[in-house]
Amino acid sequence: MSNIIKTLDVTERLDNLKQVCDLDEGRIAGEIFYSQSIYEQELEKIFARCWLFVAHESQLVKTGDYITTTMGEDEVIVVRQKDGSIKVFLNACPHRGNKVCFSESGTTRGFICNYHGWSFDTAGNLVGQHESGIYEASEFDKSKWGLREVAKVDTYKGLVFATFDPESPSLQEYLGPMTWYLDALFDNQEGGTEFVGGCIRSTYECNWKIAAENFVGDILHAGWTHDSAARAMLGGAVAKVSDFEESYSVNWNGHGYEFALDTVGNVAVLGESKLNRYIHTIKPSVAERLGDFRSNMIASVSSCTIFPNFSFLPGQNTVRVWQPRGPNKIELFTWVVVNKSAPDDIKEMWRKGAMMTFSPTGVFEMDDGENWEYCTKTAKGRVTAKQDLYVGLGMDTFMEDTHLPGNVYQGQLNEANSRAFYQYWYDLLSAHTWSEVPNRNKGKVEAE
Amino acid sequence: MFTQSAALESVSQDVFFEVAAFLNKEARLLDEERFEEWLGLIHEDIHYWMPGIENRRRENPLKQGFYDKDHMAYFDDSLRDLQRRVARFRQPSAWAENPATRNVHQVNNLEAFIAQEPNTYEVYSTFTSIRSRGLDEEYVIYGRRYDTLIRTESGLKLLKRLILIPNATLSCKNINTFL
Repeated sequence: MSNIIKTLDVTERLDNLKQVCDLDEGRIAGEIFYSQSIYEQELEKIFARCWLFVAHESQLVKTGDYITTTMGEDEVIVVRQKDGSIKVFLNACPHRGNKVCFSESGTTRGFICNYHGWSFDTAGNLVGQHESGIYEASEFDKSKWGLREVAKVDTYKGLVFATFDPESPSLQEYLGPMTWYLDALFDNQEGGTEFVGGCIRSTYECNWKIAAENFVGDILHAGWTHDSAARAMLGGAVAKVSDFEESYSVNWNGHGYEFALDTVGNVAVLGESKLNRYIHTIKPSVAERLGDFRSNMIASVSSCTIFPNFSFLPGQNTVRVWQPRGPNKIELFTWVVVNKSAPDDIKEMWRKGAMMTFSPTGVFEMDDGENWEYCTKTAKGRVTAKQDLYVGLGMDTFMEDTHLPGNVYQGQLNEANSRAFYQYWYDLLSAHTWSEVPNRNKGKVEAE
Repeated sequence: MFTQSAALESVSQDVFFEVAAFLNKEARLLDEERFEEWLGLIHEDIHYWMPGIENRRRENPLKQGFYDKDHMAYFDDSLRDLQRRVARFRQPSAWAENPATRNVHQVNNLEAFIAQEPNTYEVYSTFTSIRSRGLDEEYVIYGRRYDTLIRTESGLKLLKRLILIPNATLSCKNINTFL
């Protein structure tokens, strides 16, 4: 048990949170994007406690396959075990703290620290050191000095999550009914999904929340921000979201999914008619698998964030983590997800299509970056940082009477998910323990 | 890592001069946002490729060392893709292009060889792309390029470009230019 990570002594709560964030009133303040003291609280009370996305199972096929990533700012190794399970370790040697794995992915029989030659097997056990005899002379107990393992690892439909906090709720409880919606992208065909190779990483000078919130429920920006990209890719404007007859914003524990039921609105912007046809081809089998309702979601105008920083776009099939690197900086890790059963040429079109649209060279993403950076940077001004920012759209749109699971709100052009995201953020920053986090969910846990 | 496929013969001084002029003009057209003229330098069968760079151990290489043709890329473009990128730059609603990004493209370490295919040259260079936006934003991207130029009836055209940056993490938010 010695290799379990010590839980944090959580620092004193901030006393001014109510001033920077009042979701009942539909307001936040720019200070939450720029304050160093708020950021330090986030690393402890959010990133050291919540379930964080660390890998897709398809990146870890064989024993010894590993990737390195971060949980908050903590560097971790995610590695496939002999028994098929997945372990997640701090990427830091328990001797002087040096990084033990410098590559982003590969296959290995273990990890060796470059500093004093401490050597670990893929299960994290310390198996040897340079000049091992001198340790024996000091009655060193090797069994106590393996790589530090995170508290819990669990998966949902190929998505691997980990948490540092042994007291956190189960992944199932954390995700709640959002899994019903995740299936629309991650389980719409037999065999599930896989990531195509590689990871593109880029750097934004923005706060992680502004990006995560954009995906949790801000389709409103798309018609305006992305007009140029839509015209470049489609020769016309993006679909007018207010014209959709039926659309929803759904949230739970700060996660949010906003979607229309137009089936192909997102995939269409990749400008590849074959991909639209693929979606139409699989749709009947999705309807059999998941029902008619979700078969309309598989590549529709939609986006999702799983709290705090894991996001994706069905249809464009970009999957991403907004890695926090200070209050006003993130590293964006992006991957492309495809159905395992899709034909190779379809997978290849998605690899290129995600690049053309949502990547550092993507014609859509280029117009996001500047917005997010300046939403952050204006809060450098002490006066500006204290001004109220409006987040009040759709206050009275909660749907009491719906068969859908989760906290369901009418319409995508709605800031209900953004408010729920910031509310959960507020609740976690205000709570010393998970039991102090209020349950604000009022929708159904299961679909009817 | 890219390596030369065979020991190739250097081009003549005249051709070297012509290739250098081509690359310098290309850089200037990009600096001056003359994208349609820039597209005029591109062959219709262009493969314009900038793979993602992966930080891997030497004993665990990808197909091409630290990149892979099947992995994610920054550019993996045909002429249609390049035209679409230019089309975005030209939209009045490309909000993040107004005020304009100010560009300087530099080309250095030029080598040019007679390629095995007829009328083609293998051209290697290093580049620096400096961009500034707003009052104080500055982004520098540098790397190495492996080009194939082809001589056509309307002059030299870019047939293939492989762009390799050293960075496994791009140090800026986007690449709103061509490299």
